[in-house]
Amino acid sequence: MVKNRKIVCRCEDITEEEIIHAIDEGYDDIENLKRYTGVTTGFCQGKGCLMHVIRILSQKTGKPPEEIGVTTQRPPVNPVPVYVLMEGEYK
Amino acid sequence: MKVAVIGSGITGLSTAHNLAKQGVEVVIFEKKTYLYGASGRNSGGITTMMDRKELIELAKRSIKIYDDIQGEFSFNFLFRKDGYLKVADGFDMGRLEKECRLQRSMGVKVREIDPFEIREIVPGFNPESVDGGFIGEGGVIFPWPVIWGYVEGCRKLGVEIMRNSEVKGFEVENGELKGVKVKDETIKVDFVINASGAWSVLISKLAGVELRNRIIKEEICVIESLKPFIDPYILNISTGVYISQSARGEVVGGVVGREATEPDTSSTLDFLIGYAKGAAEMIPLLKGLSVLRQWAGVYDASPDGLPVVGETELKGFVQANGLGRRGMSLAPAIGEIVAKIVLKGKEYDEFSPSRFQFPERTTEN
Ligand SMILES: Cc1cc2nc3c(=O)[nH]c(=O)nc-3n(C[C@H](O)[C@H](O)[C@H](O)COP(=O)(O)OP(=O)(O)OC[C@H]3O[C@@H](n4cnc5c(N)ncnc54)[C@H](O)[C@@H]3O)c2cc1C
Repeated sequence: MVKNRKIVCRCEDITEEEIIHAIDEGYDDIENLKRYTGVTTGFCQGKGCLMHVIRILSQKTGKPPEEIGVTTQRPPVNPVPVYVLMEGEYK
Repeated sequence: MKVAVIGSGITGLSTAHNLAKQGVEVVIFEKKTYLYGASGRNSGGITTMMDRKELIELAKRSIKIYDDIQGEFSFNFLFRKDGYLKVADGFDMGRLEKECRLQRSMGVKVREIDPFEIREIVPGFNPESVDGGFIGEGGVIFPWPVIWGYVEGCRKLGVEIMRNSEVKGFEVENGELKGVKVKDETIKVDFVINASGAWSVLISKLAGVELRNRIIKEEICVIESLKPFIDPYILNISTGVYISQSARGEVVGGVVGREATEPDTSSTLDFLIGYAKGAAEMIPLLKGLSVLRQWAGVYDASPDGLPVVGETELKGFVQANGLGRRGMSLAPAIGEIVAKIVLKGKEYDEFSPSRFQFPERTTEN
């Protein structure tokens, strides 16, 4: 049992099987797959898992990685506390 | 009959769903993918606390549709109806009082609430930050499952949804629309529904039709998860700052958008600074938490604040746009209206695109 659990996204604890299931359900573009499963949205924001997700999508859909693309990278690069932002000058 | 819908946002999907239910052959063209538009980027605030009779009716109907359709789609929209709270400075309280009278006259449950009572509902709320507020029907919906549910529901009825399929033009003969140009192909259709949100003006231009909607850009962000403590959706109408908490506990908030010259979804530090100040003033304990992720979305607003829905001077070209910052609250009902326009030839003067041809009626309310 445990042997078959291939974890792809460690922050959100998502397995390869879950990703494949989502692709089979029709969430077969990277942006929808991300939102449906939660992959790449955890603490690392995809730094650890995005490449694996692209590989799985490519294998399942037969599309080359260039066509699949990458998810939009959202700022900030690392979490920023609200009290720090409050010190900024608002234009 | 064959209908092409432009845009797979909430407006396009609810339109397609209503048409397909009546047996119409529908194809949706989507430039990117579902969730790319405002429908995948919004804050999910749902309410009937609107400032126009027409909007209140649409919002009431839409909530009913959400309630019924989740079962039909086998999708949970995570619609949490813990209320919608509008707060304001003294200067703006009159506006809220006025709309409250209208809302009550239409049976909307809404009541005035003083800042100290707000603190009883939202622990940590700073009563000094506002002069008053009104709380009423509504809450927060999770926009993604709404869209996925509609996608599923549409597919089951045979709707074809074409992603990565940008509409590039139209085929017109003698003032009548004959086809849509997508990927070097012209697809023959009887009707085109322009449900492309912030891109609706561009699409109208391609068809040679005038549409005077403005493009609004709005930025939004997520603060790290906390145990749920913010029950209602909170909107400060004086500062434009809004805050709510998702089912996952993330604090989602932003600042009501401003007019932009083009659909631009870039993020700015300026927004984060303004939001941080405004949000921490209302709920000071947010100061110690961190912003995890920010993004922006674009939507379109009509000159008079009511949606633009109806056939245009170009026969077969139907507008379904201009929903403003209320699209999630209005679009399910708009889909029904579009279906009635296309199938029964019904006309809705209050939403008709032709109302802007009479300048005296375009004043902002
Ligand atoms: C930050 C933010 C917060 C918001 N908060 C709320 C809220 O709390 N409550 C609420 O009710 N509303 C809110 N809104 C507004 C709401 O999101 C919109 O009114 C609604 O999503 C509009 O839906 P739509 O289907 O009309 O447009 P969209 O969802 O924008 O869909 C339009 C689609 O058309 C596609 N398209 C464009 N050009 C073409 C082309 N040439 N060919 C094919 N496809 C094309 C786009 O890719 C897009 O997917 C918010 C919006 C934003 C941005």
